[in-house]
Amino acid sequence: MGEFKVHRVRFFDYMPSAIRAMAFNGSTERLAVGRADGAVDVFNSADNYFQEKVIPGRDGRAIEALCWVGRRLFSGGLNGEIIEYDLENLRPKHNVEAYGGPIWTISINSQGTLLAAGCEDGTVKMFEILEEGIQFQRNLDRQKGRIISLSWHPSGDQIAAGMMDMIRIFHTESGHATHRLLVERGVGTAKSQEVVVWSIVFLSNHTIISGDSAGKVQIWDALMGTLVSTHLVTKWDVLALSASQDESSVIAGTSEGTVVQFQFISSSVGRQDEQWVRTRTFKNHSHDVRAVVHTDTAVVSGGMDTQLTVRPLLDKVEKNTQESSQRRIIFPHKSLVGCAKKAGLVLFQFPDHLEVWRLGESDGHGKPGDSLTVKRKPEKLIQLKRKGEDHICCSALSPCGGWLVYSTVSSVRLYKLQLSSNNVSINRVSKLPKELRFVHQLCFSSDSSKLFASSSQSSVVVVGLDQLEWKYLHTLRHKSGSMQPVHLLAPSEDGAWLATANTDCQIHVFNLRKLKLHCSLPVYGSCPTAMAIHPTSSYLVSVHADQQILEFSLKQKEYTEWSRKLQKQGLHPLWLQRDTPITHVSFNPRNPAHLLLHDSYMFCIIDQSLPLPAAETRLLNQMTLRSLPPPERSRESHAFKICKFFQHIMFLDLMEDHSLVVVERPLLDIVSRLPPPVRQKKFAT
Amino acid sequence: MAKKQRGKSSRLAEKTDSKEPTEDLNLVLDSSDDEAPEEVTFEDSKARALRNMKHARDTAKRDRELLKEKRRKRQELFQEQKKRKLLPVDVLEEIDSASSAVQKESNDEAGEEEHEEDQREEARPKERRNSGKLVRNLKGNYKVTTVKERAAASFQQRAAEQFLQSRMYGPGSCRTTNNELLSLQNKKGLIKGAAVQFVKKDWACKEKAKAEKIKKRWLHKQQIPSS
Repeated sequence: MGEFKVHRVRFFDYMPSAIRAMAFNGSTERLAVGRADGAVDVFNSADNYFQEKVIPGRDGRAIEALCWVGRRLFSGGLNGEIIEYDLENLRPKHNVEAYGGPIWTISINSQGTLLAAGCEDGTVKMFEILEEGIQFQRNLDRQKGRIISLSWHPSGDQIAAGMMDMIRIFHTESGHATHRLLVERGVGTAKSQEVVVWSIVFLSNHTIISGDSAGKVQIWDALMGTLVSTHLVTKWDVLALSASQDESSVIAGTSEGTVVQFQFISSSVGRQDEQWVRTRTFKNHSHDVRAVVHTDTAVVSGGMDTQLTVRPLLDKVEKNTQESSQRRIIFPHKSLVGCAKKAGLVLFQFPDHLEVWRLGESDGHGKPGDSLTVKRKPEKLIQLKRKGEDHICCSALSPCGGWLVYSTVSSVRLYKLQLSSNNVSINRVSKLPKELRFVHQLCFSSDSSKLFASSSQSSVVVVGLDQLEWKYLHTLRHKSGSMQPVHLLAPSEDGAWLATANTDCQIHVFNLRKLKLHCSLPVYGSCPTAMAIHPTSSYLVSVHADQQILEFSLKQKEYTEWSRKLQKQGLHPLWLQRDTPITHVSFNPRNPAHLLLHDSYMFCIIDQSLPLPAAETRLLNQMTLRSLPPPERSRESHAFKICKFFQHIMFLDLMEDHSLVVVERPLLDIVSRLPPPVRQKKFAT
Repeated sequence: MAKKQRGKSSRLAEKTDSKEPTEDLNLVLDSSDDEAPEEVTFEDSKARALRNMKHARDTAKRDRELLKEKRRKRQELFQEQKKRKLLPVDVLEEIDSASSAVQKESNDEAGEEEHEEDQREEARPKERRNSGKLVRNLKGNYKVTTVKERAAASFQQRAAEQFLQSRMYGPGSCRTTNNELLSLQNKKGLIKGAAVQFVKKDWACKEKAKAEKIKKRWLHKQQIPSS
């Protein structure tokens, strides 16, 4: 089958960022997640929660709240600014200073016309939402404490604000505060500390539900201004609340890492005395839960442990199906590691710097599964700090190891590397072409003579590279009219083709010799997550977010025989139930029938010459095959050879000397660097 | 009453002093009620009153002048002292321009401040802009450097972050370490394991490098006699 020497790389100190805010757009089915370093991720909840877009963060931009208005995304943060994001160019579009100090929360009314921002100085500022941007309208009555949370009544007449020790209800027309609801402080030692109403929800039947730092969830009557009931949920804080669309269920996220559900149900069937009852408790996280979202079928939560957890509610989905499984999204769906195949180098992308390492060497031989002795250790050659305050969006290293490029939302920087055995030098190439703006994906051609950069309006800029100079060659455009960003670039080995995929699920292939569009693949319903062009047969292999594999012949402009056979038979159910997407596809030069794929938890080699597995057979049969005698082995083996030896794989590729590079990031390393969790006394510890 | 009369008579005595000294004596000596009071004309008394007032005004004016003079002298003395205490003007200008070119200060009137800065920057378009540290050694043991750049977070943003940090991780928040969390997971898990111990990767790196070198040298030595 294949024996590979594996470089097992575990020195990539990747640290994901904590989740601070989330917002779900029911009509477009997109979930926006705001992180502590200012980055915003957009997930497509209908497409297996694929991470479609990542807007990089910036130093000093601390996001505290996110909200959607139609297709527009707004965020408010502690730097006092309300930012509107351009989701086609993946950068902030408009920046409005609220002049109220740090903004703790923003909220949109149900008509989508006004945006309310709760500020540190005690004012609730109203902004009018215009075609292009927002404009300040007026302030509501200024209060003495800071406004931590806001919630509009669905009619838009009233707005409830959670502050320190109290909740205020404002009448939006006049701007005056009509009711003041006093929140009780905690018991014991917590009585001397003010209680913070971290989150608040205003329902259409004039009920207010609030979660505060004393660990209580309280139900209030907004018309009378009285407390209806109190539920003590946790000893620590209740940090986030979210109500479902039909207002019959509310979830609360706590500092303990639990998510508690409350439902508006009656004590027995048929009776009409409904009240809010605590029903389920999910322990999804090990650290604080900072943001929760209640979608129609699931509970999505995220917090300080940086993982996004989707827990479907079993009364809304069918049991024991793909839909009802819990998902955890830990690693980004875009690769942060690049490698120079011919030079034996790996590139690590961090938000604030880049690292280039040379892989170690070992000349031992051994049986499969052995660890070989390392003759020369991997060494860090270059650590390049970024320029400016914007975080690095994407980066690439040329296969020969001679060029390094990275881009932020404001600029693209290209460097020439000279690496001899004992000397490393790096020179910046200045004055890049002005067409290189809004770049969100970078790639070098396999002979390192061209740089491909995906740019605005779904186009790709081609820049030719010589010894020390660059020359702008062409901008490749397609005529489908889509403006969505291109997130995948796959050049072919011989330099004749370039395949591009954008987040509208379109795949276009360009002919690089003639610099024009060759063909566009039929649009498949799910977004492509990885693509590659076979070096000899010029087949384009694309893997999608719903785990489908498609193979398209570029010369004949149609799907190949093998692809049709796979579609007809269907993929094995265990393959379709995997919950992390395939992020890289590559080929084996020694065996043209092999495809190498990997996702976070497995590494698979698909042998196209072997039969496809039927749905009843075992998919993971490598161990059993090893124990069988050779003639039986050839009968039992099927095309999918899966290896689960490496866990939490961030990147896997085949180098020119036929050795595999596997970059793993053990979860333990990430957990050990998180902020402290709460101390829970457990029995017998 | 008696005093008043005496006072009156004494004044009268003063007035008539200049004219008729002899009569005056008589008046003082006699001071009897037989004599009719002295007749003083209106003009005389008016002139006397005016003279008195003028005298008073003059003295007040003189006093004011004196005070002003004193104050001016003190101010000058202070200016002199201050000038002696301050650094030379060119050093101040240099530091000023370096700091205004680099930092982005902000407080409640953030907009105003920036406007001011712009004006200042416009006023000095040709001055050298240094970013980074600027060190000047003056006579004596003084050294002038620019303060290290802070992140662009304003005071208010930092205060808000501190509030959040203190509420979540401050005193009374009952937190434990990640080490303990993982160790408890090991203890209570299905497969019971030992407590997790975190090792500092860069602990004693110099000693480790030295040990590596010694090991290599020893291995090399071992290989030479055998080959």
